[in-house]
Amino acid sequence: MLSQVRLFLPELYFLFMGLVLFAVSVGRGAPNPRRTYHTAFVLSAIGLIVSLGSLFVEGELFFQAYRVDLFSQIFKVFLSLGMFLVVTICSRLDGVEERYHPEFFLFLTTCTIGMMLLVSSVELITLFVALELSSYSLYILLPLRRGGGERSAEAGVKYFFMGAVASAVMLFGMSYLYGVCHTTHLVDIFKRLPDAVFMPGAIIGLVLTLAGLFFKLAVVPFQSWAPDVYEGGSNQLVAYIASASKVAAMAILIRLTALTGANSAYFMNLLIILSLIGMTFGNLVAIKQRDFKRMLAYSSIAHAGYVLMGILTMSDAGYSSVIYYGLVYLVLNFACFLVIVLVSEKGDNVSIDQFAGLYKRAPLLAATLLLGVFGLAGLPPTGGFTGKFLIFIAVIQKGYLWLAIVAMINVTISLYYYIGVVKAAYLLPPAPDSVDIPVSTPMRFLNYLIIAMIIWLGVYPEIVYDLASLAAKAVL
Amino acid sequence: MAEFLEIIRQLPLLSSILFLTVLGLLIIILLPEERPETIKVVSAVISGAILIVCILLYMGYDQGRGGLQFVERSIWVKSLGIYYFNAVDGINLPMLLLTGIVLFTGVLTMWQLEKRVKEYFAFTFLLVLGVFGVFMAFDLFFLFVYYDIALFPMYPLIAIWGSTRKEYGAMKLTLYLLAGSALILPGIVLLFIKSGLWTFDMIALSQAHFSPVVQSIGFLLFLFGFGVLAGLWPFHTWSPVGHVAAPTAVSMIHAGVLMKLGAYGVLRVGGFLCPEGWAQWSELMAVLATVGVVYGAFVGLAQTDLKYVIGYSSVSHMGLVSLGLSTVTVSGVNGAVFQMFAHGIMTALLFSSVGYIYDKTHTKMIPELGGMSRNMPYISGFFILAALAGVGVPCLASFWAELLVFISAVQTYPVRGILAICGLLISALFMLRVVAKTFYGPANPKFAGLPDINIWLASPRAILAGCIVLFGLFPWMMLNLIQVSTVPLIGRVVGY
Repeated sequence: MLSQVRLFLPELYFLFMGLVLFAVSVGRGAPNPRRTYHTAFVLSAIGLIVSLGSLFVEGELFFQAYRVDLFSQIFKVFLSLGMFLVVTICSRLDGVEERYHPEFFLFLTTCTIGMMLLVSSVELITLFVALELSSYSLYILLPLRRGGGERSAEAGVKYFFMGAVASAVMLFGMSYLYGVCHTTHLVDIFKRLPDAVFMPGAIIGLVLTLAGLFFKLAVVPFQSWAPDVYEGGSNQLVAYIASASKVAAMAILIRLTALTGANSAYFMNLLIILSLIGMTFGNLVAIKQRDFKRMLAYSSIAHAGYVLMGILTMSDAGYSSVIYYGLVYLVLNFACFLVIVLVSEKGDNVSIDQFAGLYKRAPLLAATLLLGVFGLAGLPPTGGFTGKFLIFIAVIQKGYLWLAIVAMINVTISLYYYIGVVKAAYLLPPAPDSVDIPVSTPMRFLNYLIIAMIIWLGVYPEIVYDLASLAAKAVL
Repeated sequence: MAEFLEIIRQLPLLSSILFLTVLGLLIIILLPEERPETIKVVSAVISGAILIVCILLYMGYDQGRGGLQFVERSIWVKSLGIYYFNAVDGINLPMLLLTGIVLFTGVLTMWQLEKRVKEYFAFTFLLVLGVFGVFMAFDLFFLFVYYDIALFPMYPLIAIWGSTRKEYGAMKLTLYLLAGSALILPGIVLLFIKSGLWTFDMIALSQAHFSPVVQSIGFLLFLFGFGVLAGLWPFHTWSPVGHVAAPTAVSMIHAGVLMKLGAYGVLRVGGFLCPEGWAQWSELMAVLATVGVVYGAFVGLAQTDLKYVIGYSSVSHMGLVSLGLSTVTVSGVNGAVFQMFAHGIMTALLFSSVGYIYDKTHTKMIPELGGMSRNMPYISGFFILAALAGVGVPCLASFWAELLVFISAVQTYPVRGILAICGLLISALFMLRVVAKTFYGPANPKFAGLPDINIWLASPRAILAGCIVLFGLFPWMMLNLIQVSTVPLIGRVVGY
């Protein structure tokens, strides 16, 4: 019994954290944002430590519907890291009304729980329930933005409707998979699907199931929610959506694509096409964007294309490169949102012009922005380059040299709009009415930490990559 | 003397170059912006130290023994076979020396900079970190990382401190060069995978026998990927625009060193690792190179902006380098590498002189400048010397380089060789015409009272001029060194 608790420890801890925040939220009395923030900060820090401690446990729970292995645990560490980092930038949660702060943290916690359950699910219905738990938390969080007016309500409604449709489609696909394989456990599906993958029913089932997850990862053509949601949501929430929820989607996509056992050329071609279109579309449309969060949304669509490239190789090298890229992507996105939160006034959206003269107003933030943006572009010596490099190794190993070349061309295209951000921060003089941005000491420390992480992941990938390789072997 | 050399050979000089560059970068980042003089002094001291280390490397290299020396090799990432592997041989040692010279003289040339001094020198050191790294790296992963580190500081350096159409020039240059690196990375990964060795160590990869198809695709990717940076026609259009837009020392580094990175990449990564591909595509390379030589000369003929003239002359001279590389012969490659060195120094001197003239007269347009040699004899002298070197006058370094390239080009590709010589004649024509119009003829009274260069500002130009004359009078000092490594390299191709 105790060993089973050990397996489930991170989830149980975050459940406990959720209950504490729930208690805070129903408490009477004047809202105390400082106390709420400190509670959330301490609890999420402990959560990160708990997840790190549970890194090497293995086992199965709940009638083999729930698998705890290195693959799932490594993603739980990423998710709790993402949660912790987002909480650190919530000290001045201007985007949300004070009385809703506890609810904000509560639903972030439930979303994290949902995603942790998601990465460990090896059974279709568990997967669906976990996905819904995380999705509903986000549906509630989006409209909570203060002063967002129409935009945040629009974002909330769009995300809710499209998410609901995606879930329904996913469930329908799962029913087809059940019909073909007569089981909902992924392990058994893995045994039966490769032989059955030529049946149209199997392909439909697989594609529709994946559609729900492609929606989460913003793979084209399921990406249309991303720009509006990124623009309409409050900055800290979008930081969470951009980093943590994408990572969870990557994890479960790896598990599900591994199901087919690389037998179906049809399926491979489909993934290749989705990857190509995603990369190109995301990069091209991002060029036009003036709002930085919207630009990041389109860049995330392009990154979904790169990640899909790694996933479709269906090899250990491919999976480990995607796991590595998951961490890198988390850190890079967080770096960009960190700068957004510190630059934005009263939690408003930040347009690229507002970065003008950042090198004078806040040189440390300009440096973080530079590294984050160049990391997303994939330039050495940032982690973004190493992540893409590892994906290319997997892709070329499978013989898709041309796909790597197209991806690199896309990287060059993406550089155009990323340089636009750097240009504003470093080249343009500050606007006449702008002021220097004060950066408190904890925030300075956070900036240094993020810069160090980005460069470490770029120059010395050994430790994390070895861990990712071990995790990739445990996928199925 | 022999003991001194023995001591030098034990020192990790290559890592110390990288270390000094990073040290310079960190010190400058930590210094406050309000003390530009301190920043300049620190930059000069560090770049001077780096130059001394490069000279020590040159002295310490044992030409009798040949091969790789000053080797520093240790494992970096075991699971991917990435090694921290630096070494020198006859091909990259001249390049390291060139970079040291151009960096030092470039720092001195910008002594009068006032705008955002701290960031300028910080970006400069970041840029040369990448350049030094590429030249000394023998591990493909590190080579590519350093290559990109060398590329992206060009954007802020040009866009902030540049002049004519600086934002356009900076964006075009950066995007073009990164598009080139977009071709290199798949090539590197292709070699990594097809070798079956799971390593990025270039010496190990050079011994893996790649299939002809892989070598062919690989060399093509490297030819065009690195060729963009080498100014290979038709992917050269970023170069003149970038030269014109960039501030003086950045143009010096850009034309003097950065374009050599491209040619070095074609030779070291393309030629060394894919010899069969090199032999196969050499015809195409020769065609593109010849067109570049002739085209650069003709377009340069039409220019009225001094920096554009130098820019197109650079394209033409880099075409000569590519032509030498495309002959796949010992003397061709010797000439190409020597031309990389000689042209680097020469073009750095050209830009350095133009920079001074522009600072004082605020114009680079030839019709507006006239008779400069009457107003400013010394700086004119430097420019004219460099222009003559570009033309290929004997006793100056470029003469030997161009001679070797032409001899081997005419031997291997007679028609293309003759066309290239004609291109040289055209470029001599426009260079001399530029000199005549800008420095001789009636003096422009507007510039009558301007000060000529003083001894301090003249020192970097004098160093560059001295190098051109030194290696012009004693070419064996460089050629013997290059030959040591070219012979085994060509031997590999022939023996394949």
